[in-house]
Amino acid sequence: MKRWLADTLFLRLFALMWVALVGSHVGAYAVVKLFRETPPEHDRRSFVGSLPTFPSLPPTPGLGGPGPGGGPGPGDGPGGPRPGSPRHEWSGEPPRMGPPGEPGGMSWSLTVLDYGVRLLIIGLAAWLGARWLSAPMHKLAKAARSLGTSLGRDEGVPALDEAEGTVEVRDTARVFNDMAGQLHTQFKARGLLVAALSHDLRTPLTRMRMRLARLPEDPLVERCALDIRDMDELIDSALSLFRDTSSVGPLQSTDVCSVVQSLTDDLIEQGQPVTFSGDTAVADCQPVLLRRVVSNLVSNAVRYGQRADVSVGARGDVVQVVVNDHGPGIPASHLDAVFEPFYRVESSRSRDTGGAGLGLYIARDLITRQGGSLTLVNRAEGGLQAVVCLPARHVSASTQSS
Amino acid sequence: MNRCLVVDDDGEIRDGVRDYLQRFGMTVSTATSGAEMRRLVQTETFDVIVLDLMLPDDNGLLLCRWVQETAGIPVIMLTAHGDPASRVLGLEVGADDYLPKPFEPRELVARINAVLRRAQKGERNKEAGQRVVGFQGWQFDRLLRQLVSPDGVVVALSSAEYRLLSAFVERPGRVLSRDQLIELTRAPGVEVNDRSIDLAVSRLRQKLGDQAREAVLIRTMRGEGYVFDTKVSS
Repeated sequence: MKRWLADTLFLRLFALMWVALVGSHVGAYAVVKLFRETPPEHDRRSFVGSLPTFPSLPPTPGLGGPGPGGGPGPGDGPGGPRPGSPRHEWSGEPPRMGPPGEPGGMSWSLTVLDYGVRLLIIGLAAWLGARWLSAPMHKLAKAARSLGTSLGRDEGVPALDEAEGTVEVRDTARVFNDMAGQLHTQFKARGLLVAALSHDLRTPLTRMRMRLARLPEDPLVERCALDIRDMDELIDSALSLFRDTSSVGPLQSTDVCSVVQSLTDDLIEQGQPVTFSGDTAVADCQPVLLRRVVSNLVSNAVRYGQRADVSVGARGDVVQVVVNDHGPGIPASHLDAVFEPFYRVESSRSRDTGGAGLGLYIARDLITRQGGSLTLVNRAEGGLQAVVCLPARHVSASTQSS
Repeated sequence: MNRCLVVDDDGEIRDGVRDYLQRFGMTVSTATSGAEMRRLVQTETFDVIVLDLMLPDDNGLLLCRWVQETAGIPVIMLTAHGDPASRVLGLEVGADDYLPKPFEPRELVARINAVLRRAQKGERNKEAGQRVVGFQGWQFDRLLRQLVSPDGVVVALSSAEYRLLSAFVERPGRVLSRDQLIELTRAPGVEVNDRSIDLAVSRLRQKLGDQAREAVLIRTMRGEGYVFDTKVSS
């Protein structure tokens, strides 16, 4: 019982509809009656009387009833109260109803008024009810949307007002806030765990590395040192998974060409088989993260495809970074799967071509977060092609001349 | 002989680093905590401090700042965090270099020597003071190694371009010969020669929008070298 009496949406809507329907009838009746008693200036034409005779709608009987009932004209008899359509034409035609205010049907303007009042009241009620329904939905959707971006960050998660609205809305708000809070705690805990793990792994790795430094030079020692470096790289990518997926920072308008070229120049300086071609192209991105992505693609190309030919260019509304290699490519069936974390094409699961299988996953994630895309295709002439697309930003031609 | 202080709370790492550095002819003292380090720094003299960022009793960043303010000894930070943000932070509080754990022991020696060389030339900590310098509407961020154009577009620099531009902004208005530039932009593991200098100059001009024919920023002085012809503000 209490449930029904409380401020529930159920009760609100039920009451609203009931009140609106009854109110519209009563309101329309009252207004029309009011106007009828104050005689309208224009005469009533009989044929308009036929207009309100929508048999299925309540107004006509409702009005027709009291009309003849109150007036002295029941002499017209049988047709009066019932909206039989032919009868109306007769009943209006003879000026029996001559005294104003006692018509058998309704005038055009009164009909409009009658319907107008009903439409207005029902419309208002519908608007109110729709708002009761949709406003909390909007708030929920908005909060859920911002939840995704704010999870795991320090600024906290969005909270809904638990004291506002009907019982159901307050319930939903409470449940949502609980859920968001739990997600947030777990996200933070996971981040802290990974950070602590990687810190606690790096300390023993450093110890091992220093122990190796005490040993005489030996190929075995060298290989141990390599393993330590590999493990450190794995920790690094696992850490970056949590660090970078939580935020990419503000996007800056960046000369993509300069980012990529500075990377390839550095690699060329180190003697890597890398080439570059391209023109100035400006996009909104995070230069440091973009460099990491392209660096990952280029090192993949060098590792699996002997060399990397990198180019940058604006194609319409996108800035493209293309990395071509001369390797065997990836079987078409694996082209999507290589973006999954820890996935590796079967044959690459060997020591020489190590890596944790996180690179492409992180790379695509970082690019997506900057509003771009990363795709892989096998080139017709052999080798793999990685394409990074970023939405271009148009600057006046005078700013960058090369 | 170079005197080095190694500060780390992990005994084996501390002793391992000490033994390794001693092989390279350094005199090494060790400290296990921030308090011990403060005491040693006040009583003895050191040429360089190798400092772990995470100590049980003290914050490495605060310790680093304290060393800079009181003794002015070069500091190389070690950290197991490996977070790019902490590198920036470490360099901003005045660390001379920053090495993530686990490091290659040889790399540590190379960094120590580089820091000592800079200290002897009296060039150290120039960067810490002015992270961003400006010239003709351009902003040069030396920590992120990037330029921001007068229109606010980020332009990234390669290592070679970064070293060259660093040399230029420290000596604006001075004619620098190719030999001087080779000396100033030398980096471990990279061969710098006339050709690579010329290449880096042309790349830099391109990125700065400086026409090679009538360059105004990096002007060619025929037979002498290059001059960075502008005012630099910090």
